[in-house]
Amino acid sequence: MEIIQGFFDAIYGIFTGSGLMNLNWQNYIMIAVSVFLLYLAIYRQYEPLLLLPIAFGMLLVNLYPEIMAPPATELVPMTGANDPAAAGHATQLINGTWYYENPQYGGLLYYLYQGVKLGIYPPLIFLGIGCMTDFGPLISNPKSLILGAAAQIGIFITFTGAIFLGFSEAQAGAIAIIGGADGPTAIFVTTKLAPELLGSIAIAAYSYMALVPIIQPPIMKALTTKKERAVVMEQLRPVSKLEKIVFPIIVVILISIFLPDAAPLVGMLMLGNLFKESGVVDRIAKAAQNELMNIITIFLGITVGATARGNTFLTLDTIKIIALGLIAFSMGTSFGVLFGKLMYKLTGGKVNPLIGSAGVSAVPMAARVSQRVGQQENPGNFLLMHAMGPNVAGVIGSAVAAGVLLNVIPH
Amino acid sequence: MLQTGVYALQGALRELTLPEKFIASAKVILTGFVVVFSMLLLLILIIKLYSAVIGGAQRAVDRRAKRKELVKELVREENGVHIIKKPAYVTAPAIEEGIPEEVIAVIAAAVAASGTPGAQTRIKSIKKANGGRSAWANAGVLDNTRPF
Repeated sequence: MEIIQGFFDAIYGIFTGSGLMNLNWQNYIMIAVSVFLLYLAIYRQYEPLLLLPIAFGMLLVNLYPEIMAPPATELVPMTGANDPAAAGHATQLINGTWYYENPQYGGLLYYLYQGVKLGIYPPLIFLGIGCMTDFGPLISNPKSLILGAAAQIGIFITFTGAIFLGFSEAQAGAIAIIGGADGPTAIFVTTKLAPELLGSIAIAAYSYMALVPIIQPPIMKALTTKKERAVVMEQLRPVSKLEKIVFPIIVVILISIFLPDAAPLVGMLMLGNLFKESGVVDRIAKAAQNELMNIITIFLGITVGATARGNTFLTLDTIKIIALGLIAFSMGTSFGVLFGKLMYKLTGGKVNPLIGSAGVSAVPMAARVSQRVGQQENPGNFLLMHAMGPNVAGVIGSAVAAGVLLNVIPH
Repeated sequence: MLQTGVYALQGALRELTLPEKFIASAKVILTGFVVVFSMLLLLILIIKLYSAVIGGAQRAVDRRAKRKELVKELVREENGVHIIKKPAYVTAPAIEEGIPEEVIAVIAAAVAASGTPGAQTRIKSIKKANGGRSAWANAGVLDNTRPF
């Protein structure tokens, strides 16, 4: 009888501790959302390298919220003055009863999340991006930096929208950075300005980056004429190795002196680029752009996804953030194209305005979109290398914009 | 110090009034616009400047190297005396009739690309090959290359 009772107690204990008893309706909705994101990542291949770990992190945290729980201290009442269980533990006397402190360890993802919380992962991702980026097109056509700057205007205008929708200054700054279309920058700024919004902002930023080929073309076509889209640009001049080596050193000196808040991001980006261009540390460059970047991508993706817990994610604020993010992203694209048009007029038709949309970071997807839309008008037109200039300028531009937000907004 | 931090935090968290919202927005837009553009414009200026300097230095080095190469090609030294070599007369390659110009251009490009970079190559003649593969040989090649 005792055995049967013990068996039922054990089954009851397992049942009460299971998700069936502990999860709420928000968790179930988020599980459905994460499965949909997994479908987009695997079947549609929308930024699968990021979307897949993000979606899985989201799934895990909504199945087992404790996986993101911080470490805690449990107070256990002592059975007597010499309770052996209390040996080695700190004790407290509360209302005449002695308790000993029993430390509870945090969940797995809580510890991995510290790299996000402390702002470590985004600069390390930038290190890998630096190793993979060729600034040649930008050096051969430095004017494309203007397009990289223009695409950041959306960030600052969206800030206004967020302020008037009731967000605080710090939250508005974090939301606005989605317009930079740069995941690591968005995470870096959000962890400093509004960590409570990290899940919604990171997911909005990465979703819009994945949706670049869908969001940008209609805006690009609406703002340009057929004639402008068909412009064939002159071939870029070859850039010498020395110019490529000097570039990261000059950029990091300039930006870090004037805008120290952007130094972690720009510094790591340029360090990675110097690894690549110097040609003397091939082993390190390969490690940074492959092993290190892949490991950080896994940790970043899964922990960012794990911040999207049903009860904190399914709020009106998340809907506002997603809407504002779309506005920021569309404005960035629009201003890039509009400045491209301006350059088209000023150069007497030598610049194809479509390369302006690549000024939002999203490397190299945004440049590929410029190429694809350009080829729809003129199949013999190759805009990819021309669009890579504004595209990598956008990475620098969004890091500078991040530095401005961190500097100007009280946090 | 701690008290100041608490006041600053309270200030950051409280709801802004309408004029404060306008001021905050204008401040961020203006600062962002000016700083981002001036940083990137400064970068354009610096890139142009150092590209011009490096480009100029590179051109001077290239010119010197070219001149050295030319002298080496045209002048030989015998017992400390510089003697100008006889110029090598370049004759046009003998091209069999019926080969289209496009094919000649492709062959010339392939020859140039396959040689050592910088080395000069010359095509002496282009002839159509006789015979070619048998039907069986063609079938064999096709079979082996089909997956590609």
